[in-house]
Amino acid sequence: MINLLARALMMTTPLLYGSIAEVYAERTGMMVTAIEGIFLMGAWGGFVGAYLSGSLFLGIIVAIIVGMLTAAVYAWITVYLKQHQVVTGVAINILVLGICSFFMRVIFGVPIIPLTVEPLSKIAIPILSKLPVIGPVFFNQNILTYLVYLIVPISYYILYRTSIGLVIRSTGENPEAVDVAGVTVEKIRFIVVLIAGAMGGIAGAFYSIGYLGMFTTNIIGGRGWIAFAICFLGNWNPIGAFIGALVFGLTEAVGIYMQSSGGGFFPNELFIALPYILTIVLTVTRKSFNVPAKLGIPYKKEN
Amino acid sequence: MNEKLRDLIVTDFLAIFLGLTVSGFLLLFLDKNPIEAFGILFSSIVQDKYTFAEIFVKATPLIFTALAFAFTFKANLFNIGAQGQFYIGSLIAVSSSLFLGGKIPGGILLVIVFILTIVGGAIWGSFIGYAKAKFNANEFLVSMMSTYVALAIMNYLLRTVLIETKQEYPQTNPIDTSVWLPTFIPGTRLHIGFIIAVIVAIGVWILLYKTSLGYRIRVVGMNSEAARLAGISSKRLYIIAFMISGALAAMAGFTEVNGVQHMLLQGFNPDIGPAGLGIAILANANPIGIIFAAILFGALKVGGTIMGQMSGIPSSIIELMQGFVMIFVIISYFVRLKLDVSREKRKLRKVVEE
Repeated sequence: MINLLARALMMTTPLLYGSIAEVYAERTGMMVTAIEGIFLMGAWGGFVGAYLSGSLFLGIIVAIIVGMLTAAVYAWITVYLKQHQVVTGVAINILVLGICSFFMRVIFGVPIIPLTVEPLSKIAIPILSKLPVIGPVFFNQNILTYLVYLIVPISYYILYRTSIGLVIRSTGENPEAVDVAGVTVEKIRFIVVLIAGAMGGIAGAFYSIGYLGMFTTNIIGGRGWIAFAICFLGNWNPIGAFIGALVFGLTEAVGIYMQSSGGGFFPNELFIALPYILTIVLTVTRKSFNVPAKLGIPYKKEN
Repeated sequence: MNEKLRDLIVTDFLAIFLGLTVSGFLLLFLDKNPIEAFGILFSSIVQDKYTFAEIFVKATPLIFTALAFAFTFKANLFNIGAQGQFYIGSLIAVSSSLFLGGKIPGGILLVIVFILTIVGGAIWGSFIGYAKAKFNANEFLVSMMSTYVALAIMNYLLRTVLIETKQEYPQTNPIDTSVWLPTFIPGTRLHIGFIIAVIVAIGVWILLYKTSLGYRIRVVGMNSEAARLAGISSKRLYIIAFMISGALAAMAGFTEVNGVQHMLLQGFNPDIGPAGLGIAILANANPIGIIFAAILFGALKVGGTIMGQMSGIPSSIIELMQGFVMIFVIISYFVRLKLDVSREKRKLRKVVEE
C-alpha cells in the first residue's frame, strides 16, 4: 500500500509540472497544445544530455532548453503570427516526433543494446522520512518531486498575491485593459509560454531520466494531453491542478500495479486506458468551469 | 484566376518547398547529400508502375482522415480523434469480414461491411458530439482521449477474441479473398478504395457547399451566435457533424483492412490521424484540395521509405518532412492574410485617389 502511494506520488510529479505550466499559460489566454511535443522533447533532451555528459543535472538543463525552444516556435506562430493554437500544436507534435527519432539516429546511430542511464536516485529526507506512512510516501522521492512540492504553493502565491499574477490573469480575461495599462499582451503571452516550455521540459525529463532511465519515442504516450486536461479539470488553479494530478497519478500507479500483478479479472488494457477514460468522464461531468475569457483567442489590437 | 486562389497555390507550393528544403539540410547531420537523397526520392516514386501506384494506396486513408478533420473544422469544432475512429472502423471491418467472409457473395458482403463500418464510426463519433452538445465538454480533449481508449480496445480484442488461429501474434487471421477490395491496375496494389475516397471527397464538398445541412454547419462554424439567432440549433449540428466525421475516419479502416492489409494487426497505421489533420490544413479544409494534398503526403511517404532503404536514411525523415511542411503551411496562412490586407489597402487607396 505504501509502495503504491509512493509510486502514485511519483507519477503525479510530471503531470503536475505539465499542468501548472498549462495553468500559467492558459491564464494568459494561451492553450499550450504543443505540450505533448514539449514533454517528448524534454524526455529526449534529458536523456541525450544525461547520457552524453554523464550528469543527470545537465540532462535536466538540456531538457529545459529544448522544452523552451519548442515552446518558442509554438509561441511565435500562435502569439505573433496569430495562427490557430490547436492546429499549430498538432503540427509541432508531429515535427517533434520526427526530430527526436531523427536526432537519436544522428547521435547514437543504431545501437545494438538499448541505451540506458541510471535514473535520478531517491533522496530520503532525514527525520521526516522516518515518519510512519507519510515518511516513505512523501519524503523518500527524487529531487524533482521535492521541487514540485514547492512549485504548487509558490505558483498559487504568484498568481493570486502578486502584481505579476494579476497581469497574467488579466491577460486572459481582458487583454485590452492590460494593453491600456502599458503592458504588451504579446510579450506576456510569449514569456509565459516559454516558462511553460521549461516546466514541460522538466516533466518530459522526469519520464526519461527521472524514472525509466531510457528513451523511446512513445515514452510520453499522451501524458502531455493528460496534463493539458488536468489544467481544465483543476479549473485553471494550481491547487486544482495538484488535486487533479494526484488523482491521475494514483490512477496510473494502480494501473501499473494491476498490470504487474496480472490484473485479476480485468484485462491490462483497461488499466492502460483508465487515465484517458477518467479524463473523458471528468470532462463530461464537470459542471462549472472558470474558463479564462480569451482562452485560445489571438489578441488583435484595434487600429 | 481569382487572386486568393493564386495566393493559396503559390504560398502552399512555397511552404512545401521550404519544408522539404529544411528537412533536406538536416540530412547533412548524417553526412548524406540532400540533393542526392531527394533525387532518389523523386526518381524512385516514378521508377515503376507499382511504386507510383503505391502513392495513391497511401493517399487513400489520408483522404478520409483529412476529410474527417475538415468536416468538423467547418463547424469550428476540432475532431483530433480521427486516429481512434479509424481504429474502430478497422475493427468493425475486420470482424465483419472475418465473420461473414465466404458466407455471403463478395460484392454484397463488401457493401455490408462498408455500411457497418460507417455506422460504427458514426456512433463512436456521435459520442463526442453528444458530450459537446449535452455537457458542453471540450470536444478537442474528448476526441483526443477517445483515441487512446479506441487503441486499448483494439489491442485487447487483438489479444483475445480476434487473435489468429495460431495464437502466436496479436493479429487476426487473413480475411477471405472474396472480401478484398478489387485492384484496378494490374500489377499494383491500387484498389478501388482510392476511387471511393475521391467520390466521398466530392460528396463531402457537395454536402458542405450545396445542401442546407452544409450551409447550416458552415454558419455555425463562422458565427455560432448568429446561427442561434437565425434559429439554427447548433447542438444538433454538433452531433451530426461528429457523426459524419467519425464515419469518414472509419472508412479509412475499411479501405485499409479490405484493400491493403487484408487483416488487422497491432501498431496498424499509427499516424494517419495526425497526418490527416496536416493535409486538411494544407488544403485549407477544402474537400477537393484534400485529394491533392493527400497524394502529396502519400508521395512523401512512399519516397521517404524508399530513400531510407536505398541510402540508409532513417524513416523518421518522413515525419520531419511532414512536420516542417505543416509548420510552413501554417505560417503561409499568416502570409496570405498579409497579402490580402495589403491588396485591400491598395484598392482602397486607388478608390480614394480617383
